[in-house]
Amino acid sequence: MSEPLVAVLDWIAVLCLLAGASLSLVAGVGLVRFPDLLSRMHTAAKPQVLGLLLVLVGIGLRIAPQETGVFNTGTLILVGLFQVLTVPVAGHIAARVAYRTGRIRDDLLVTDELAERIAERRGGGPPAGAGDRRV
Amino acid sequence: MQLPVALGMTLVWMLLFNGFQWREESLGLAVLGFGVSVLVTVVFPLPPIGPGLRLRPLNTLRLLAFVAVDMVMASFQVTRHVFAPGPPVRSSVIAVRLRTDSDLMLVFTSIALSAIPGSMVVEVEQPNRMLYVHALGAVDEEGAERARGGALKLEERIVRAIGTGRDIADLEAATAAGREDA
Repeated sequence: MSEPLVAVLDWIAVLCLLAGASLSLVAGVGLVRFPDLLSRMHTAAKPQVLGLLLVLVGIGLRIAPQETGVFNTGTLILVGLFQVLTVPVAGHIAARVAYRTGRIRDDLLVTDELAERIAERRGGGPPAGAGDRRV
Repeated sequence: MQLPVALGMTLVWMLLFNGFQWREESLGLAVLGFGVSVLVTVVFPLPPIGPGLRLRPLNTLRLLAFVAVDMVMASFQVTRHVFAPGPPVRSSVIAVRLRTDSDLMLVFTSIALSAIPGSMVVEVEQPNRMLYVHALGAVDEEGAERARGGALKLEERIVRAIGTGRDIADLEAATAAGREDA
């Protein structure tokens, strides 16, 4: 590949890596600042995945012009694909377990249609309080 | 043996071993990968997946573009919530009833929902095809309705991209019925 093209690709790669790293930082700050588990799952599932994808694109652009023998574009595609497919599943399981064991904060939920549904299925009565959510 | 599954596994094999860069051993690599895939599907058989899916390339590209744009927007939205001063952000858990019956559509919708703005699937109630979605920052009725509309819109895009003919018919029938109700 020609020299100027490699330079341009390098710059795009640098920008992708920086943006990806900043998004991962945001995800980390979110984990500290958000009050409850359900909100924290949002930072783990979104800025973090996008950050990782950007870092992968950056690495891909950087290694495309030369052969490294360790990584190749295929590996990067696989890493991205399985992250996008598996991270939401992990987040869902964590959120589900937290909900079912009552480790959520009612004061942060404005409406909660799941609690209403669980109460309804139990045979009427007002929604169950926190700490008593097991079905 | 399920041929599509074996072919998919062969594709992953080729990506892992850099098989698409043309070398002397590329063809052998593909044959070996296919052999291993067939062996795995025969030794560890999985039940067939429902009615399966049908790829519509144009709509799939549109879906991917939509999800990509939404993912960027979602990241900015979450970033705003992260750095917003004041009391912690509040949210809602809302129920969304999907309009199609296929397990596969349910799975894709849940995964995509978790990747786009302010939504995270908390609970799935399969026989009723209900998804319970945690919507970040939905503090009133209007926000909850917006989140519900977004989820249904996403389902429609997914069904139109990879759903079978029956899924699309289900979707359209349910949408028409919903309009008459309103």
